[in-house]
Amino acid sequence: MLENYFPILLFILVGLAVGLGPLVLGKIVSPHKPDSEKNSPYECGFEAFEDARMKFDVRYYLVAILFILFDLEIAFLFPWAVVLQEIGLAGFLAMMLFLLVLVVGFVYEWMKGALEWD
Amino acid sequence: MIFNDFIFYTLAAILLFAGIRVITTRNPVYAALHLVLAFFTAAGIWLLLEAEFLAIALVLVYVGAVMVLFLFVVMMLDINLDKLREGFWDYLPMAGTIGLLMAVEMVMILSGKYFAPTTVASKSADYSNTAELGRVLYTDYLLPFELASVVLLVAIIAAIVLTLRDRQDSKSMNPAEQVLVKKQDRLRIVKMDAVVETPSVEDPKADKEKS
Repeated sequence: MLENYFPILLFILVGLAVGLGPLVLGKIVSPHKPDSEKNSPYECGFEAFEDARMKFDVRYYLVAILFILFDLEIAFLFPWAVVLQEIGLAGFLAMMLFLLVLVVGFVYEWMKGALEWD
Repeated sequence: MIFNDFIFYTLAAILLFAGIRVITTRNPVYAALHLVLAFFTAAGIWLLLEAEFLAIALVLVYVGAVMVLFLFVVMMLDINLDKLREGFWDYLPMAGTIGLLMAVEMVMILSGKYFAPTTVASKSADYSNTAELGRVLYTDYLLPFELASVVLLVAIIAAIVLTLRDRQDSKSMNPAEQVLVKKQDRLRIVKMDAVVETPSVEDPKADKEKS
């Protein structure tokens, strides 16, 4: 069974090499003469204004959480689609009920204006 | 089989290392990235167990969505990291007790008759774990599956109710409402008697007109 994964292993190794290669090459080949001015943080040439961390609008998280929930819904669709021929009408109706409950949530979200950005 | 064992122990070692780093590293960004590494290696172990769908779902859902949200929160939000670490020794007895209980529970579950390690025969190459999962999920486990949709619905509504507020400082306009506005919404006609302004005596211009 593991032989089937050999191409994927090859992909992972080549991907790692492509990602690490330039970094290692840069480390080895480039001259390395740090001074205090080079090591100091900078922001397009001038001093940094403030801390990068700040308060964000909670809507960013709302959109992200809603995305995750519907992402999970999609994850349930994959095994269903694979065996739809075998489980027949009952399986089809089961998924329709599942989707119906989530559509209720989707309609609620739409009507509340959670997807609006003002 | 030796090669399988070798891959399993390699992945397990990476997984343990990543898990320990998650709770010991001081920078929460590194902790979140080590958690991503832990998810990837756990997906690798699931692939060894021929649970392909679960492995891919772990990478897609957890690494692709949940951890990105975690990283966003940790990197962007203004959290005082020193304040988070305060009170470690105060919480230690309680947290230690709970951790110990969870460890005991895990040992009991894993050594019980349901999860005791059994040797599983290797499946043929065309065996599909996804199809196997679908065969039982939508028939034998129909009720838990439908309940999952209710749980997701509760999560959707809870997220909206907890976070959605009408912003008072928003200056955005709804063009549809602007177009639909009627005259009587904006204009008020007040009926009143005509007021004639009586010319004042001191006004020299008014005096001139009189004479």
